[in-house]
Amino acid sequence: MTQYRGLDKPRGQGYFLFWKAVFVGIMLCTVAFFWYASSSVEYIWRWNRVPQYFWVAEKTDVRAEVSGDVVSVETTAEGATRITVKGDDGSETYTVPPAGKVLISGGDYIYSGDPVGRYEVSKPGILLEGLWITLEVSMLAIIIGIVLGVVTGLARISVNPALRWLAITYIEIIRGSPLLVQVFLWYFVVGTLLNALFEKVGLSAIPPLWYGVMALAIFTGAYVAEIVRAGIQSVHRGQMEAARSLGMSYAQSMRKVILPQAFRRIMPPLAGQFISLVKDSSLLGVIAVRELTKATREVVTTSLQPFELWIVCALLYLVLTFTLSLCVQYLERRAVR
Amino acid sequence: MTIISARNVNKYFYVPEELHALRDVSLDVAPGEVVVIIGPSGSGKSTFLRCLNRLEYADSGEILIEGRDILDPKCEINEVRAEVGMVFQSFNLFPHLSVLENVALAQMTVRKRSRAESEKKGMELLTKVGIADKHAVYPDQLSGGQQQRVAIARSLAMDPKIMLFDEPTSALDPEMVGEVLDVMRNLAREGMTMVVVTHEMGFAREVADRVVFMDHGAILEIATPKDLFTTGATHDRTKLFLSQIL
Repeated sequence: MTQYRGLDKPRGQGYFLFWKAVFVGIMLCTVAFFWYASSSVEYIWRWNRVPQYFWVAEKTDVRAEVSGDVVSVETTAEGATRITVKGDDGSETYTVPPAGKVLISGGDYIYSGDPVGRYEVSKPGILLEGLWITLEVSMLAIIIGIVLGVVTGLARISVNPALRWLAITYIEIIRGSPLLVQVFLWYFVVGTLLNALFEKVGLSAIPPLWYGVMALAIFTGAYVAEIVRAGIQSVHRGQMEAARSLGMSYAQSMRKVILPQAFRRIMPPLAGQFISLVKDSSLLGVIAVRELTKATREVVTTSLQPFELWIVCALLYLVLTFTLSLCVQYLERRAVR
Repeated sequence: MTIISARNVNKYFYVPEELHALRDVSLDVAPGEVVVIIGPSGSGKSTFLRCLNRLEYADSGEILIEGRDILDPKCEINEVRAEVGMVFQSFNLFPHLSVLENVALAQMTVRKRSRAESEKKGMELLTKVGIADKHAVYPDQLSGGQQQRVAIARSLAMDPKIMLFDEPTSALDPEMVGEVLDVMRNLAREGMTMVVVTHEMGFAREVADRVVFMDHGAILEIATPKDLFTTGATHDRTKLFLSQIL
């Protein structure tokens, strides 16, 4: 089999086999290096400790708070068990959830602090919660960013000076400062002002998550605006002329003729922008949004397993960004026209 | 009675360099008349044609389309354009829409017809230009001649009173030219008012009521095709041009 791509001399089968082997060799060497280096500092890999940060399953006891006789053990309609204990100062009732186990039976005498039932709590761990926050923040920022970007992109090419200059000012300011600084500005400046105002009129403060979403959305909107502008300007001007010559208005021509063609072209750069956004959301840890990176940092300090957890953290980001690029690829293929 | 009346139209371009593109161009067109504009490249023929539906805004002069002054800023230009069809050298079909959607789009957005009505009308026109069997394909799957016929159908779908043709056959393979000219010939026969910029002298001779010769942004000569091609042009520049291309 030869894969002749023109321009250069045809390559033989040995050429491809050899260089594929080189690729595999390089990958193996990298892994081997890390393994060797970590064993030389006597790092003990404990991958088995990672799953508990994804899903928590712990046993909880229901304990009696009075001493006395168990006067009744009855099962409710939902399957839970109600245990009533009659003590010296009156009776108390404890409930064991349906899946729980009852440890006493009617007529037993129990002391205060004795377990009367035991059940398992099963809930998402801190890493999964962090992943969810990252996903939530990114999706919100992407949606707001698209709307903001399209509006700004259109304003950027408008003949109206107010619209055009507003768009240019917005784009240049946002692109000219680091995202981390913008996150601080949103939280410590805008956030402080807004929350103070809200307090004055008796409203509750906006949680930090929303300042994070706004920082990301407005940051992304500026880049999306430039992508949208380039996309619109890449559509041949004959398309606009043809649409206008049929009597369609500027807005109609934009909506029905120019934007559909532009969107097909800006799909790949847009995907790149959104992948950056997912990764940039890791900065929100600094304003107490417990997204994936912040969650990982917290887990690392308690577990002392930094190698495994940071590798897992990176892989989780990879899963998010890879899924996103698959979605965009799918959309791109559907919008081939 | 004129349907197009252009008086002393001037147009300047400043990019890439200052150019007096139209010099006091005046032309009247009667309803049902076919006017063919010829001339060397850069003579301003296309610019003049594009001024007639304000794709280029003339700098001075007066242009009346069905009595409406299109250079008046208060003119509802979209209403005028709906009555003036335009066919481009490079077709400019909408590549993201199927052939039938191309023909139906403006009917729905401008004429506010229903989709069913627009598609019915679209199919009639596609049949008329001989391309009904391709209604579901996309423009890039058609030959140049087929695309240009769809473009003509797209313009006709608006029921225009005037059709402007900007070198409709210049981008076509020689064997495709005939099919487009046939459609235009039929249109002229049905009494459509047409202004055609072209290098097809055969078409001009056969179909035109009047032939306009332009050079350096000015009209040098307006004559019937018989006078121009048989009896001979009066102007030396016209004679030279015709001798070079005939």
